[in-house]
Amino acid sequence: MREESHSCQAKIVCEDITKVFIQKGTQRVHVLDHISLDVKENEFVVILGPGQSGKSTLLRIIAGLETPTEGSVRIDGREVDGPGPDRGLVFQGYMLFAWKTVLGNVEMGPKLRGVPKKERREIAAHYIHLVGLDGFENHYPHQLSGGMKQRVGIARAYANNPQVMLLDEPFGQLDAQTRYFMEKETARIWETEKRTILFVTNNIDEAIYLADRIITLEGKLPGRMNVVYNVDLPRPREHTDMAFLKLRHKITEASALTL
Amino acid sequence: MADIANEVQQQVRERRPLTLSVVLKNRWFLYGLSILVFFLVWDMTAAAKAFRSGLPRPHEVALQLWRMLFDPLAGKSLLGHVWASTQRILIGFTIASLVAVPLGLMMALNRYVNAIVKPLFDLLKPMPPLAWISIAILWFGIGETSKVFIIIIGTFVPCLLDAYNGVRLVEPELYDVIRMLGGKRRHEIIQVCFPAAFPAIFAGLQIALSIAWSCVLAAELVSARSGLGFIIILGMNLSRPAMIVGGMVVIALVAWSMSQLVSALERFVCPWKREIDGR
Ligand SMILES: Nc1ncnc2c1ncn2[C@@H]1O[C@H](COP(=O)(O)OP(=O)(O)OP(=O)(O)O)[C@@H](O)[C@H]1O
Ligand SMILES: [Mg+2]
Repeated sequence: MREESHSCQAKIVCEDITKVFIQKGTQRVHVLDHISLDVKENEFVVILGPGQSGKSTLLRIIAGLETPTEGSVRIDGREVDGPGPDRGLVFQGYMLFAWKTVLGNVEMGPKLRGVPKKERREIAAHYIHLVGLDGFENHYPHQLSGGMKQRVGIARAYANNPQVMLLDEPFGQLDAQTRYFMEKETARIWETEKRTILFVTNNIDEAIYLADRIITLEGKLPGRMNVVYNVDLPRPREHTDMAFLKLRHKITEASALTL
Repeated sequence: MADIANEVQQQVRERRPLTLSVVLKNRWFLYGLSILVFFLVWDMTAAAKAFRSGLPRPHEVALQLWRMLFDPLAGKSLLGHVWASTQRILIGFTIASLVAVPLGLMMALNRYVNAIVKPLFDLLKPMPPLAWISIAILWFGIGETSKVFIIIIGTFVPCLLDAYNGVRLVEPELYDVIRMLGGKRRHEIIQVCFPAAFPAIFAGLQIALSIAWSCVLAAELVSARSGLGFIIILGMNLSRPAMIVGGMVVIALVAWSMSQLVSALERFVCPWKREIDGR
């Protein structure tokens, strides 16, 4: 009974996902082991795990870019069997189109769906404004800093109006200050335009700052789910709050045991 | 909200006082200097008869070129000969690139095309284009066809190879972006594959162009009644070094202009690269 109502509400349901890559024909790499998780509508869930724990792989499976060896992913109750515009993916390495301007990058989603030019310009302008890139519409990616590039990546994903946002270590390549600034921005954008967000990171502070719920992965392959933390600190959060630091301590202690 | 990006773009034009060191480091000054020194060394070497009468002085070459502009050689003025060579290149280069670039793209995109074309191509690729000259003359005679044929053979390889590799080297995750945004296979090709391969294609065209000049010269040296290669051979037969060097200078000028034209086309087609190789 309880189970039932739970899965009705959940936006993303991952059931028992296992992934084994076959490398060079014979070598098996067991990357994910029986991962089950669900994310509620408009929830901000962070997957926290050290490098090489299969985080990107999990996100790519949910995105539909990889197929799980076992298990399944459902979005709104519908099984995922390929990439689709109901999910927006922000890539670890930006992956902007170098030959398109900021505007051209952001309007790509609507363009592919056949939205008329005038309308998609408006959509793009809205999201360029949302991520704070007004005035940079006609810049090419190589003219932008790392933080600005990832803003374009985020705006591009949002502009396609996905129901679920998947972010793969979006700020992994940024310096500490810019990263902190971008986390604030992410929280702001999420408050402005609520979406279901699955955010991958290896940074504990980032996880606590952003998440409603943190799912930790074990540090060794295959990636297994470890502890799940509910973060019910009031927003906007402060990195120096007592409660923040306490949770940080708790997660550090717990993950130190498994690393 | 513009300052939310944490960065404000400013147009700053630096004004530095005109000191000797600024002049010495100026790009244009250095360009000019290097060319001036080249001509001086050339002139001094020629004046000192280092190659006996084999090396004309720069002004003798200029004079020779000026004369050839008006006095026809073998029925054609200098411009006529320039056009003869250029025309051969344009025809051969156009045919080769129109066939080779799409073929290279198709090879990279479709493994059946690849499986059929690649072995043949790999077999013919290492053969130097000039090795084809004799057989081309046997097949097509000494007329235009054999020269165009050599150019096609020579330019086909870099055109095809660079188009092929250009597609091969595209970051596969960029295709994932298109798929995530709801695009189909044809969108992946149009929106990612082609634009990402453009710079490589143009690099191939530039290489092809310089090979085309080698090919047309070789073909004209073997047999021709027109073209810049003919001028050079004529200069040799008449023992007129100024004519030989003049021919060489004109070839350099025309080849350089054509490669500038291709660069301009590239800047037009790939505007995103403009600022990258701006310096
Ligand atoms: N397509 C693939 N084929 C074979 N092995 C793969 C493939 N993709 C990922 N792997 C392997 O899966 C493991 C986990 O990779 P993944 O990218 O998911 O880790 P990650 O947690 O995202 O790491 P990071 O924090 O460095 O991004 C790696 O050891 C990698 O070698
Ligand atoms: Mg990763």
